[in-house]
Amino acid sequence: MPSIVNQKDIDKKKIFLVLATPANIRQRNIELIKDLSSLGYHVVIVTINFPYNILVKLYRENGVDLGMVSFIDAVTRNSIGSVENVPGVVRYINNPANLTDLGIAVTEALKDHQGKKICVLYDSVSTMLIYLSSQNISKFIHFVTNKLRLMDISGIFLAVEKGLDPMLMSQLTTFVDTVIETD
Amino acid sequence: MTNEAAIRPDCIEAEILENANDLIIVLDPQGMIHLWNRTAETITGYPSDEVMGKRDIWKKLYPDTAYRQTVTKKITGIIAARKYFKNIETTIVTKNGEQRIISWNTRQIESNGTIWEIAIGRDVTELVAAKQVIQRNEAFQKSIIANAKLWMMFLDPDNNVRIWNKAAEEISGYTQDEILGNRRIWQWIYPENNYRKEVTKKIVDIIRNKKYLENFETNVRTKHGEIRRISWNTRELTGIDGKLLGYIVVGNDITEKKRAEEALIAYMAEIAMRIKQPVEIVRDTLREVAQLCRDNKLSMDEIAIMLDGQVRNATQIAANVQEFQKAITNSAREIPEAYRKFLEGE
Repeated sequence: MPSIVNQKDIDKKKIFLVLATPANIRQRNIELIKDLSSLGYHVVIVTINFPYNILVKLYRENGVDLGMVSFIDAVTRNSIGSVENVPGVVRYINNPANLTDLGIAVTEALKDHQGKKICVLYDSVSTMLIYLSSQNISKFIHFVTNKLRLMDISGIFLAVEKGLDPMLMSQLTTFVDTVIETD
Repeated sequence: MTNEAAIRPDCIEAEILENANDLIIVLDPQGMIHLWNRTAETITGYPSDEVMGKRDIWKKLYPDTAYRQTVTKKITGIIAARKYFKNIETTIVTKNGEQRIISWNTRQIESNGTIWEIAIGRDVTELVAAKQVIQRNEAFQKSIIANAKLWMMFLDPDNNVRIWNKAAEEISGYTQDEILGNRRIWQWIYPENNYRKEVTKKIVDIIRNKKYLENFETNVRTKHGEIRRISWNTRELTGIDGKLLGYIVVGNDITEKKRAEEALIAYMAEIAMRIKQPVEIVRDTLREVAQLCRDNKLSMDEIAIMLDGQVRNATQIAANVQEFQKAITNSAREIPEAYRKFLEGE
């Protein structure tokens, strides 16, 4: 099966916006992680809708090498309250709208895997729309893409296709290097 | 009626004088009246037998002393300078107390060694009143044009600006003095060559076909460098001979309205995006959870975490909807009361 992102672009530390249908977005997430793992990349997944525990199950079931992924989970703490971070594996934040906490968690996760080839996967821009205005999402993604470029790290933003209004879409398009529309 | 002893016009002349449509009065050098024709009787109300051979008629026609003195002084001054006067308007009071405006012309004639003063008066009361109405209407029209909130101008057939109202000054930043008779206005308000050509071509095409423009929108650059969106309406103006007099051009500054519309569209798009898509996300997630449950892949705790997550999402979506409702009702106060109440959740 062809890769969603190619090695050349990933090695150039490019930043991608990957669009998928609502029905396929989970599957695209898994395919991306498998692609990146096979290229020797450690993937830091920022998950806003599915908790760490369940994603681990799904990934394991789909043959993802869990040693090549770590998580920033914005779901679990909301449900069960206090839950401890596991450095190098999972970091929890209370609220996806708290961009400061999210930024700190990403920075910490990157430190945990310093020296490795890393790619950060945001799943998803569409779910972030529940908690943030398009203006704030745009600002946040601009900030993140700048930071990733400075740190020479590749990044992928997943989004549901046709779910972003033309204004936000055009802004995101200018922040990323490549927009990939999957089937 | 004529005083035969003093002046003796022949029968035809006498008939003409008697039946003329104007007041005709003949005075001797002492100011005694020797002719007071029928029109003079009709207009003033004084019959000739009350006037002939007397000098006091002027006190009756001008009963206000101060006004009479002003008139006398004016007439005396003119006569001293050139022996006659033309089109001097005075207001007389008739016998029944009515005021009439008379336009006077005088001539001196010599007959049998005596200098006679002939005064011819035309009743211009209605004419003056009509002129006043016209002047008032013109002033009113000018005032409407000058004070209208719309950019109004009048272009002659050579496209020279002949009228440039206050709103035109305020919107464009260019004063009437800068604009009247100045054809560079188009280069000023449309400084970009291609845009100016495009606008001009469209206007010419439309006017050629329809003779008027309706809600034709252009971007105008003001003197201060600001871009304003103007909606133009024009009408061709022709004289009674059918010849083109020029164009009345009215511009409505719709810049703010356009901005508001754009902002509203952007806002509606944001609402659609931030409500429709999140609801779909919740739906798809719950569907996925249902499938995972059917496949016995989730523990009770995991199901609870997933459902809690979707409850939080739904709560946030409801809060977003409320925020949008508030924003809409605040930004559109003119929406019908029933809708506002619905949006405000009353």
